Amino acid sequence: MIKVEQLRDCAEKGLATAKREGAELEVFASWNELITVRLNYTSDIPSSGVQEPKSTQSFGVGVLASFKDKGKLTAGFGSESNDLRPRAVKEAFRRARHCRFFDSDFRSLPTPAGIPTLVNYHDPLVMEARDGDIVELGWKALEGALKAFKERGISKSIIVGGDVCVLKETIAIKSTLGIDDFDESTILTAAITTMVEDKGVKGTGWSTSTHLGQFNPGRAGLEAAESAIRTLGGQRVPSGLYHVVLGRQPVTELVSNIIAPSLSLFAVNASNTPFLGKLGKQVASSNLSIYDDGAILGQIGSKKITCEGLPTGRTDLVTGGLLVGFLANHYLGKKLGGSLITFQPRNGFRLHAMGRRHDAKAEVFPTNMVVEGKEEVSNEELLSGIKEGVYIGRIWYTYPINGLAAGDFTSTIIGDSFLIKDGRLSTPLKPNTLRINSNINHVLNNVLAVSKEKKATLVWAGEEVVMAPEVRVEGVRLDSIGETGA
Amino acid sequence: MKRKRAKRFSIEALDDIKDRALEATEYARSLKECQYADLRIGLTEYKTASSENGNAKEVREEESASLGVRVIAGEMAAWGHYGQPLGKLDFKGKALWRVLRHGINSAYERAQANAAKKLSLKDLAPALAPVRLAPVQVCQDVVPAVFEEDPRQVPLKEVLALAVEVTKEMKAVAPEVKFAYVAVLTALTRELFYSTEGAAIDQSHALTQGNMYIVAQKGGAIPETFIDYLGAQRGWEVVKGKNLYNKSLLDLALERTRDTVELSGADFLTSSEKPVVVVTDPHFNALLVHEIIGHPTEADRAIKMETAYAGRSWFLRGLNDSELGKQVASNLLSAFSDPSLEGYGHYKYDAEGVPAKRAILIDKGVLRGFMNGRESAVILNQEPNGSMRATECHYVPLVRMTNTVIATGDRNPEDIIAEVKEGYYVVNHRIPSISESRENFRISAQKVYKIEDGKLVKLYRGGGITSDSRAFFMSIDAVGKDLAIFPIPNCGKGQPMQVMKVGNGGPTLRGMAKLTGEYR
Repeated sequence: MIKVEQLRDCAEKGLATAKREGAELEVFASWNELITVRLNYTSDIPSSGVQEPKSTQSFGVGVLASFKDKGKLTAGFGSESNDLRPRAVKEAFRRARHCRFFDSDFRSLPTPAGIPTLVNYHDPLVMEARDGDIVELGWKALEGALKAFKERGISKSIIVGGDVCVLKETIAIKSTLGIDDFDESTILTAAITTMVEDKGVKGTGWSTSTHLGQFNPGRAGLEAAESAIRTLGGQRVPSGLYHVVLGRQPVTELVSNIIAPSLSLFAVNASNTPFLGKLGKQVASSNLSIYDDGAILGQIGSKKITCEGLPTGRTDLVTGGLLVGFLANHYLGKKLGGSLITFQPRNGFRLHAMGRRHDAKAEVFPTNMVVEGKEEVSNEELLSGIKEGVYIGRIWYTYPINGLAAGDFTSTIIGDSFLIKDGRLSTPLKPNTLRINSNINHVLNNVLAVSKEKKATLVWAGEEVVMAPEVRVEGVRLDSIGETGA
Repeated sequence: MKRKRAKRFSIEALDDIKDRALEATEYARSLKECQYADLRIGLTEYKTASSENGNAKEVREEESASLGVRVIAGEMAAWGHYGQPLGKLDFKGKALWRVLRHGINSAYERAQANAAKKLSLKDLAPALAPVRLAPVQVCQDVVPAVFEEDPRQVPLKEVLALAVEVTKEMKAVAPEVKFAYVAVLTALTRELFYSTEGAAIDQSHALTQGNMYIVAQKGGAIPETFIDYLGAQRGWEVVKGKNLYNKSLLDLALERTRDTVELSGADFLTSSEKPVVVVTDPHFNALLVHEIIGHPTEADRAIKMETAYAGRSWFLRGLNDSELGKQVASNLLSAFSDPSLEGYGHYKYDAEGVPAKRAILIDKGVLRGFMNGRESAVILNQEPNGSMRATECHYVPLVRMTNTVIATGDRNPEDIIAEVKEGYYVVNHRIPSISESRENFRISAQKVYKIEDGKLVKLYRGGGITSDSRAFFMSIDAVGKDLAIFPIPNCGKGQPMQVMKVGNGGPTLRGMAKLTGEYR
């Protein structure tokens, strides 16, 4: 492991060395390690339980530099891996100079803006965790699930999959424009899926934390098994328009795959968002608000600073149904902002599956996306008044099928779902028999109620976490599928 | 392959480390209860540039290198893995030996901890079994990259100039073009594979690719978007026209731009309640075969290892309950996966050092096999076919598609359309959404044409098709002779997600499916 002091030293000495070249510079040094314990237990097929504990890590330095070339401002980026000596910074600078080019939209390197509110929020115990301990976390998740199945007398047709991930991130950044900061974060996730395959039921459970003490992969395994067991004996429903209650995972799928990408300046820059030209206008039910907040203590999407060295914080996106903002990094904030509207660059990150990468430039990434209602209700109240409807607990492959701008999306309901009758959950829904075919504008404008209770929820390969409530929506089109017995 | 002298951190750096790699495998073999180990070391030199609307947006010239170590150890044999990117410093003096030894020790300790826990939980989890690998031919070989114009000799300025020129021309196509983006990449990759069984493989390949992203909007209408790729595992000649389209990057980008502009003024397709006759073109079928035949015939997915991520397979419910040997499609339809063909899935040895070979997936409508790795081949009682791949060496290899295609037929594609009295011609794939075992799909197309009396009479936007998978494949009544293999650079799988390039394609097909259209 490389300590943050070494990264700060690299940024400081490297900046001093490269500064002599007469350019404006930003030096970003990072070290990351991702350990993944992948689960695979199949009761009817020989399997390993924990398929493999695996890791990947990276460290190095990236330099973003701007030059004045014959009256034009040019910029370039270069990096050097596995080396933190001043000569590594020099080499990265050499590459940046070699790769410099004129971009008429480039205004400047990021400049200091405010003081971070989140400090010392990582868990040193995670940074020091031994391999054997992390392997053990994976087996705990599996044990949690298998014990729950055993208690119910289920021993056949079981699948337990998913993973336990431990991500350690450390960065330091220093620039000639006055940015000088560092950040350390620790992220623990357990995302477990179980099935009783011959019954066609699937359940999910998850645990997220920034600290080992609050991390409970065994509980995630247990929840996954219990949620599968709850949906035994599912039935089909015909195609039609339904009152639905979207559980936390479907809300997260919609936020991660449709809503957050549409609320990014990256999409605005490409004219590819259903919210184009709608700033200040009603885009959702007046009951609905959505914001991003990278400075919530204890949430795994939180960071002290962005990868541009700027403080994280809250960016309101939709407030009471009105579109009020977009997620921004420094570059796009400057390009698309102006005297009438400014975009705070709180979302410039160099994220990659394995952490905050020195060899990437900052792009726009959400952090903790929070979905709220103006008047939030209990889970029971959310269901009350629905004579006939569908509670949707898990969906997948939720994509903007005709491009983000069109807003059309589709998704299959694959588990954790029930019919709603007279305001209560009734019969489980048979998984993989209904496809959602709808449009995000329709969903956002037909939110009738939002639950008080929220839970940090992740979807596969998502970089952000969603503080997801359950949401009641009317008139969602569900189409019956799998009728030909494929 | 012509190799120039090492100047900085180049693929020639791997020449000097082969002895170290061999020593490292000997060291792994000496560890107690170490049953198997392999290591992969890779290095890529690349140049890339991007542009939007005629303005430069990115220029990079870098190298990336990495190491991956897999170990099977313990009484109840289990896997452990270690990976990390490498830098120039790691190749100097004794540094590499230290890195290799650290990697082997870490993977070994993880395997031992994993094996011990596996053994202790056998009562609760009786299906736990030691890892077994299918025996394979142990190979030593050197495979050079193939190209006409060395990616390393292409001036960076030329890469940028091309990107800028292309988007400038795209933007000039029509005032409706709101966003024209192109990224150009040219690269050379070399990977070493060494195992405790004695494998020693040195493989290289070139890659040149152009990504294009177009947004067009007519008045205040909903913008029309399209993303596509041009590419091959070849040198700079690819962007000049030596590719499956026989078109330069500029010409293909302009064609896609004109299509997008035309579509921005087209009517949206309306969904159909019942299946209708659809003719799907090779580009559309690339995504169809990818999602509905390719992924479900990956053995790890079939044996449920991907349940938590991208799901299971409609071809296999259990070891004794599968579609193997059964009709899953019309007898006109065959499909295979073949790394020996040119395409994004081309290679000679996979990431386990196994000689790659054609895997017959569907033969005349009957399911015949799966793509596999050494571990999944044992479980399915199959011969290994060398389908394990990792995006970069520091990642764990997974079963991946290679060049996975629907086989060519014997019909003229024009005739397939001409025979349709009333139906739809579905052209160029966009976005897929599939059910959990891929037993049902909805896939959108860039363009859908109404066919009346064998003629294309109207263009629609926002359309696609949906069907239960078996129903669609069983309905196929014509297969064209126009097989083409398209570059798919972004197939996501695994945790952490690995974005792999694969080749997918097929000929023109005709079948029955419901139309999907706007939902507003």
